Amino acid sequence: MQVPDDTQTSLERVLSYLQGVNPQRIACFPLILNHASRAINVPVAKCIQNAELFGKAHVATYRRYGNDLITFLSTTSTLAEAMGQKMDFIEDDAPQLADPLLKKLEDIERVKIPDFTCDGRLPVYLQATEYAVAEVGHEVCVSTVLAGPFTTAAALRGADVFVRDLYKNKEWVHELLDLCCQAGLKFIDEILKRKSLPIVVEPIGSASLVSPRMFNEFVTPYLKRMADHIHANGGGLPAVLHICGKTKPNWAPMREADWDIWSLDAVDMAEAKAFAGDRVTLVGNVTPANLLKNTPDQIDAEAKTICEKGMGSPRGFILGSGCEVPINTPPQNVDALINAARRYGRFKE
Amino acid sequence: MAREREDILKDLAESVLNMNEDLAVSVAREAIKAGLDAFDAIANGLVVGMNKAGVLYEEEEYFVPELLICSDALYAALEILNPHLNRENDQTKIGCVIGVVEGDTHDIGKNLVKIMLDVAGFEIYDLGRNVPLAHFVEKAKEVDAQIICLSTLMTTTMDGMSTVIEMLKEEGIRDRFKVLVGGGPISQAFADRIGADGYAGNAANAVRVAKALSARVVAA
Repeated sequence: MQVPDDTQTSLERVLSYLQGVNPQRIACFPLILNHASRAINVPVAKCIQNAELFGKAHVATYRRYGNDLITFLSTTSTLAEAMGQKMDFIEDDAPQLADPLLKKLEDIERVKIPDFTCDGRLPVYLQATEYAVAEVGHEVCVSTVLAGPFTTAAALRGADVFVRDLYKNKEWVHELLDLCCQAGLKFIDEILKRKSLPIVVEPIGSASLVSPRMFNEFVTPYLKRMADHIHANGGGLPAVLHICGKTKPNWAPMREADWDIWSLDAVDMAEAKAFAGDRVTLVGNVTPANLLKNTPDQIDAEAKTICEKGMGSPRGFILGSGCEVPINTPPQNVDALINAARRYGRFKE
Repeated sequence: MAREREDILKDLAESVLNMNEDLAVSVAREAIKAGLDAFDAIANGLVVGMNKAGVLYEEEEYFVPELLICSDALYAALEILNPHLNRENDQTKIGCVIGVVEGDTHDIGKNLVKIMLDVAGFEIYDLGRNVPLAHFVEKAKEVDAQIICLSTLMTTTMDGMSTVIEMLKEEGIRDRFKVLVGGGPISQAFADRIGADGYAGNAANAVRVAKALSARVVAA
């Protein structure tokens, strides 16, 4: 089957959404994170610890695939890392959390608001962002991704202990969330300063983990602060939120947090569209494991179904992966995903 | 005056269901004082509460924090009751080796499955997280387990599940074990493709699948 040609740049396509007009075809945001290292053939750990490689990897990825969003992120624990959390770097995989920083409640004294010029890998993220914006920012949207307060707090404490704290140490949790939120707001400022789009991911707020009640109490207030901050300081940029896993039970409290674009994972896109109404632009949600394991034809079929469900969403629909594109995804599967946007993401004249 | 058995059992169940660890411990002590059989208190009190929590979890009334705190209450009460168990209550339990496959340290899902299988009466051998694949095979042989449960949240490590199955085949012992897989990126299709015996999408379902698989083992 013929793949229609694009007549807009990625940036023009994405800006159409903000201007409230239909693009020539829908945008496609495969969440390419550590997979970017494949575009320059270096192991993941090397790529994500070096600003030059990190930047070049994502620019090379964009040039290879024509994805409509560059996403600088290697792990949702990056902010926690800069706040003092130790990480284990794995040669060819994303880093994972080492022993939690906050073993005892009083360890909260050890949490610091990071210095963005030197702590953790923040300089790597920010310099790579600068490089990509300078290199391709005139033709594609560059984003830098940070974890929301709830996810950062869970990384510092250890998720299994943190979810118990939600019942047992509520005030302490709020104190920690406030610190994580302050750090996040500063990160957002640094990202905006570099003319990149800040995107917030809050995987620990997934309904695969926590209830709507907990989300309301511990996630919504801080996410709201972040969305408000982006709205106040972003010069018209939308607030973009990604939450992995199941989210449907938490859609109502998510809506209270006032994010403009939702990137969703394990949901039915038709249900999401019905819920989003004219308030939210939706991104999603080809199953990440399928990108790794299925054939291009199967990817095409899955993406087609998702487009059928998502197209016509009043605030717009963007085809994407439900979560991170697996590191070892065959490139032709990413092509199949983006081609599906070209085929099935067109508007009637 | 000591309360009735039914009242004590009901309180044990409710203390677990309502995440009340202090109450679970004090009622467990009361049960011993009142001369209740420890096995009775566990099977018809604590476990009833934990199973109800599992139902609420499936109905999306409870989520991960609630289920974990219910299990904290359960295990705290078990510490009181276990020393009082009579040997004759020992049934032959079905052995189940469980762990998160090599390269992955996300273990909340695995821990939920472990708790629910434990409550359902399986003998659990928890290898933890980031488990070298050969360890699953070695441990299953060593303890003569019937079920091997493999968990992962990551797409980079999911193929390790297939490797474990291949290892079993190479040793000619594939038939001795039922392999149950689960975790974020895992699906029934993936389970079928790698030749696993079962897939479970959540902890409550894992118990049903494990029971069905072990029933087949017994029948065979």
